[in-house]
Amino acid sequence: MRVLRSALMLMVLQGVTGVRALDITLPAETAAYRASPLPGYQLVRQNCLICHSAQYVQTQPPTSARGYWEATVVKMKKAFGAPFPEEDIPSMVDYLVKTYGAEH
Amino acid sequence: MPGRRAVLKALAGAGTGVMMSLARHNALAAPGGGTTLPFENGERELVAFPQKRPLILLTSRPPQLETPFSVFNAGVTTPNDAFFVRYHWSGIPLSVDPQTYRLRVSGKVDSPLTFSLDELKRLGEPLDVMAVIQCSGNSRGYFVPRANGGQLANGAMGNARWTGVPLKTLLEKAGVQSGAKQVSFDGLDRPPLDGSPDFVKSLAIDHALDGEVMLAWAMNGQDLPMLNGFPLRLIVPGYYGTYWVKHVSDIQVLDTEFDGFWMSKAYRIPDNACACVEPGAAPGKTIPINRMNVRSFITSLTEGQRVPAGKETLVRGIAFDGGYGIAEVALSADGGRTWREARLGKDLGRYSFREWTTAFSPRNAGPYELKVRAVNRIGQSQPMTPLWNPMGYMRNAVETTRVLAV
Repeated sequence: MRVLRSALMLMVLQGVTGVRALDITLPAETAAYRASPLPGYQLVRQNCLICHSAQYVQTQPPTSARGYWEATVVKMKKAFGAPFPEEDIPSMVDYLVKTYGAEH
Repeated sequence: MPGRRAVLKALAGAGTGVMMSLARHNALAAPGGGTTLPFENGERELVAFPQKRPLILLTSRPPQLETPFSVFNAGVTTPNDAFFVRYHWSGIPLSVDPQTYRLRVSGKVDSPLTFSLDELKRLGEPLDVMAVIQCSGNSRGYFVPRANGGQLANGAMGNARWTGVPLKTLLEKAGVQSGAKQVSFDGLDRPPLDGSPDFVKSLAIDHALDGEVMLAWAMNGQDLPMLNGFPLRLIVPGYYGTYWVKHVSDIQVLDTEFDGFWMSKAYRIPDNACACVEPGAAPGKTIPINRMNVRSFITSLTEGQRVPAGKETLVRGIAFDGGYGIAEVALSADGGRTWREARLGKDLGRYSFREWTTAFSPRNAGPYELKVRAVNRIGQSQPMTPLWNPMGYMRNAVETTRVLAV
């Protein structure tokens, strides 16, 4: 009887569909930016990891030219509202194109 | 240029976001090994995310996962735990309670409404449809010259049976007012920073009311996995995945053209019949991406595979399009000079993968270049030479699989 009542209570709590709350935990983030003596390395870690993991950069075609990195960093600031100062952009672009792009 | 204080404030806010996000990424990483996609810089980890088997990891935050291609040879339905994942912003829901979840329908309607999941399920007889969802940038990694963006092989697609309620039912219940032009869709996922454009998509009002666009709570007979949109996602049969808004929570009827970033600036294709430009050229005038083009794949043979010479090998694969339905699939074993019609499998609906099979009998030992080409019911097919656009969308060239008869 108690079991039945508990089961009924559970059904009420879950509604007619019986769909339970769903909680997930994501796996650890392992990707990291490649270390470099270029000043842009620290800026990229500081400014880009705020919103996304490093694979966004790492997986781009190695042929990606300076113009692509420049346009992308500017897009992150202007269109997406990334809160880094304008003066960080040249160093970030330089690190990106020399580490992951056409000037590697 | 924002003042220093504004920057510091924004950074402080961002810092909180990072902390929360890092705290939630605990040490469940499954060392699933790796794989190499067949283009430069194609090395990827295989990682098991919640409710998923190990899949090809494109990005961790937000999660973007690609289905290993071998899955498509195991059946025309893509299992939920192998289904690809694409997000735009890292503020994704990790915990959803269907008892408190609500869907709001508002804007240019007579009576704004709010639905619980139970209420949606009680609106009428559930609708079931087999439909392919494919990422706009599926196969982007194969573009030559390369296109920037998510570097995907062919696994950002899947075919599932979706169960839900037509969007039309909700909109009619709310009463669409005259002058309505578009309907916008927002989900529970959010940008990590204030000020970034939230991921919101829109459809024309006639499309939204066509009775086929639906809100689905189940995928292959199960609740949606969280990463595929639990508890409810928009299903737009025949259209690219960008419109299939996940965790959908807010629907607005608009009397204007929706001009959010993800419609007016992103997911746009050249405004011409091929959605293409000369390789390397700028896109010119653009329109929002829309209906999928025709594609076909060999699934039973992989690049470089050995097959017996002088014997028959059964070749199997899949074909699909944007909803007209597949009329014909043909296989060439000589690099496209001669073609032989394949046998089509069971018709599961015009939005579904269509299986095909045919025999391949290499007379002599040596290399063979297999190509597959599909035609849909309105005569659209696939180009022999890939079409190109700068965003890397809509690849649908005739695919080639080279095998060796021994």
